[in-house]
Amino acid sequence: MTSKFRRVLATGVASACLFAGAAYADTMKIGITQNNVGVDSYQTTYERAFIAAAEANPDVETVVLDAGGDVARQIAQMEDLIQQEVDAIIIWPTNGEAVIPAVRKAHNADIPVIVTNSNIAEQGFDFIKSFSGPDNITQGSRAAEIMCDKFKDMGIDGEAQIVQISGQPGYTTAIERAKGFEDRLPEVCPDVTLVETQPGDWNREKSQRVMEAFLVKYDDIDGVYSGDDNMGVGALNAAKAAGRDGIIFVGATNFAVGYEAMERGEYWGSIYQSPVDDAEAALQTAIDVLNGEDVPFLNYFDTPKITHDNMAEFSKPVF
Amino acid sequence: MSEITSKTANETPAARSKGARPVQLGVIGTFLARQGILVAFALFMIGFTIANERFLDPDNIMGVIRSSAILGVMALGVTFVVISGNLDLSVGSMMSFATIVVLDLHDKLGPALAIPSMYAMVLCLGAFIGFLVGYLRLNSLIVTLGMLSAIHGLTLTYSGGKNMDIADKEGTWFDVFGQSAVLGIPVPILLFALLASGLGIMLAKTPFGRKVYAVGGNGTAATFSGIRRARVVFTCYLISAFCVATAGLIQASRSLGSQNTVGQGLELEVLAAVILGGASLMGGAGTIFKTVIGVLILGFIQNGLLLVGLQFYAQYVVTWIIIILAVWLDIAAKRGKLWSPIA
Repeated sequence: MTSKFRRVLATGVASACLFAGAAYADTMKIGITQNNVGVDSYQTTYERAFIAAAEANPDVETVVLDAGGDVARQIAQMEDLIQQEVDAIIIWPTNGEAVIPAVRKAHNADIPVIVTNSNIAEQGFDFIKSFSGPDNITQGSRAAEIMCDKFKDMGIDGEAQIVQISGQPGYTTAIERAKGFEDRLPEVCPDVTLVETQPGDWNREKSQRVMEAFLVKYDDIDGVYSGDDNMGVGALNAAKAAGRDGIIFVGATNFAVGYEAMERGEYWGSIYQSPVDDAEAALQTAIDVLNGEDVPFLNYFDTPKITHDNMAEFSKPVF
Repeated sequence: MSEITSKTANETPAARSKGARPVQLGVIGTFLARQGILVAFALFMIGFTIANERFLDPDNIMGVIRSSAILGVMALGVTFVVISGNLDLSVGSMMSFATIVVLDLHDKLGPALAIPSMYAMVLCLGAFIGFLVGYLRLNSLIVTLGMLSAIHGLTLTYSGGKNMDIADKEGTWFDVFGQSAVLGIPVPILLFALLASGLGIMLAKTPFGRKVYAVGGNGTAATFSGIRRARVVFTCYLISAFCVATAGLIQASRSLGSQNTVGQGLELEVLAAVILGGASLMGGAGTIFKTVIGVLILGFIQNGLLLVGLQFYAQYVVTWIIIILAVWLDIAAKRGKLWSPIA
């Protein structure tokens, strides 16, 4: 064999390596399997924002999948993504427990997994790099602060009575928001009493019915905390129909209907959670993990307080 | 009519022996036997009133009936379908569809055109189901279970997953169906009462009504009597669709905006109310009046449990216990005894 051939071979291998290296550094292939796009505007907007953010970044190539709310399909999608040898997988779990074996499989194949929006169960934590999403406990405690501050302004923080309409029983988001609210309220406003909590199941009509019963049962209601704005607006409708003015409504996940009611001055405050921020945070977390940066295990994106006073700083939610 | 229906509903030895000796029941006994569900209703009302004196507050009663009106209107149509011997599990999805469509068209065409367009679309869905069950003789459980998910998908596709809201909530007259009142009575209650009277008379007093009972009670006999069964079943699904469209109209008008899952799960509540009212799942028995009582029982149970302040985890269980108790009281009163094992 001539040295010439050897030299050609060496150059070839070297350039191939260089090329591959450059390609690796240039594009990362990130796969995402979402929960159920199309079922609500939050998830629809999330997907659009995710694709837009990925397209804006020339280093990122994505495989965007949707499980349609079906655990079995999501597990199959995880396996597909592992087969395709993507560099990282983002998962919006359809079920916090059932997807763990599939997540472990990806972990064993050395593919980092990032969970987005709602976390998986704790026994799966060893197999994921990071959770990117909203901090529902903080959302609950911030809602308590919004409510308390308003009562102090009105001078009724020494006697106010409130009711709570929570999300669907059994949902982590519902439980965490209620816990954050109930823990924080006595710290900031010890003399405000939470007289009763009933679930509104994330449903506007159901909350309206629950609120109607509250209004019959209690002559004096100063505030209503609801697990999201959709339910809050249901409660507001009930109060308006009964002619009970002056009730302070505070919610979470600011929806367009909540934003509009806030503009009219009927609804006091909420927590601004943007699906766009949610999607961008998930993609950024995956990129940071791939770049070897130090990413906190619970990587929360900020969900600020929004009230009638500061709402001009926020654009109206699209959902 | 009710004599015939109660016989077809209870082809048990106990029922037959009751029928053979009706004189011994006496006036009170006969009343109990025929209106057992009404007695059960009265008992619950008394119980809840003792537990919380505000239960009988006129505002509360009006509120409960208004909230029940949506479920009630749907139950009226389903009563026809059930008496004709079929099921309709698609009403929840169809109600979401009606609500979303009318809200969407409100902003595009204006309310005056949106309402008839929505009715036309929902009636088409009803006609399609009626065609499958009546003319292709497919099993109604399978057809409407399939339609439950198909129409849900249709609604999601139509709305693109978005909540539907009317842009100008202050400047529309569309809220009359859900939020206004005539002579102090909320319009949803009036619509419910109007439909209940109309459909009640149709079912009890017209030839068509008798055909519905005949088709559900004994299909073969109905055919030999010259009844075109397919046409009757088809019409029942049209009536059901009409009721669902009205429920969607009230729902949309009540909150002028909606999630696209608004009717999800209502099909079972509707069915519970219809059965609670004594309609037989085998067909051939039931009345509009008793369905209305069934709807009110469900509405007042939910309201009563909230007023009592029961932990909500327990409410699901208690609701179920009360429904079973009511059905048992009703059946026991009809049979004239509490204990009747399958012989």
